[in-house]
Amino acid sequence: MSFEGDLRSALRREPAPEGFAARVLAKTAAAERAVVVPFRGMPLTLAMAAGLIVALMIPPGLHEYKQRQRGIEAKDQLMVALSITRVQLKQARGKIRQGTRAKL
Amino acid sequence: MNKVLILAAAAVTAFAQQGFDFKVLDKLGANATESTNITLDGNTLKLASAFLGDDKDVKDVVKNLKGIYIRSFEFAKSGQYKEADLAPLRAYLKSPRWNKIVDVKETDETSEIYLLPLANGQLGGLAIISAEPKELTVVFIEGVLNMDDIGKLSGNMGIPEINLPKDEKKSGKTKKE
Repeated sequence: MSFEGDLRSALRREPAPEGFAARVLAKTAAAERAVVVPFRGMPLTLAMAAGLIVALMIPPGLHEYKQRQRGIEAKDQLMVALSITRVQLKQARGKIRQGTRAKL
Repeated sequence: MNKVLILAAAAVTAFAQQGFDFKVLDKLGANATESTNITLDGNTLKLASAFLGDDKDVKDVVKNLKGIYIRSFEFAKSGQYKEADLAPLRAYLKSPRWNKIVDVKETDETSEIYLLPLANGQLGGLAIISAEPKELTVVFIEGVLNMDDIGKLSGNMGIPEINLPKDEKKSGKTKKE
């Protein structure tokens, strides 16, 4: 056989075995399901649900904590303010008494 | 013409009733080695009251207050603040609504106490200016008080003593490096 004949024989078109296309499609679909459903879809859904729960739970707690901190700070400042006021009133009273005694 | 006069009178009244802007006192502390700057508005006072626990005396005094403003400065040497910087506050307190009930002047110290009388023997505010060569304190309390409250304020009232020795007194202050 000539070279040309060998080549033509090697490259001749042969029909696919029966059921080949169906088997290929079935395997592709199975592979897609294996990748998408368990490893992407589920964790993403779970992450979104967890994020939503956290988003709903944290702000009220955080707000309450911050409000408490502000309240304690305000109370401390109030006590300092009242203490300074008391000292100033006492000092003024002392000066008035001194002045009165000096006049007497 | 009448409308203009009425509007002008309303504007003057509104201006006269406006509170004092304590920012103008901030320059007094420009050279201070220590300063206490407390501003408690009505909402902050309400919030603070909620954390006072069983301290009934303090709660009673604070419940009708609209604001407490404290500016207290200590200086390393005398002459570090200008008396003129107190002029806006003194001018505000000179309005006929305020009564100066204490005015003690010593060699280089002054103590002034002002009250804002209201009807029914109540008070609308208390102001104290205490000026010494190396120390200056302004106390301004706004809101409804009565004379018993003033007595309580000058008493112990369960307030912890913060009158420490001169070099380290008062908490809640900022110390300049």
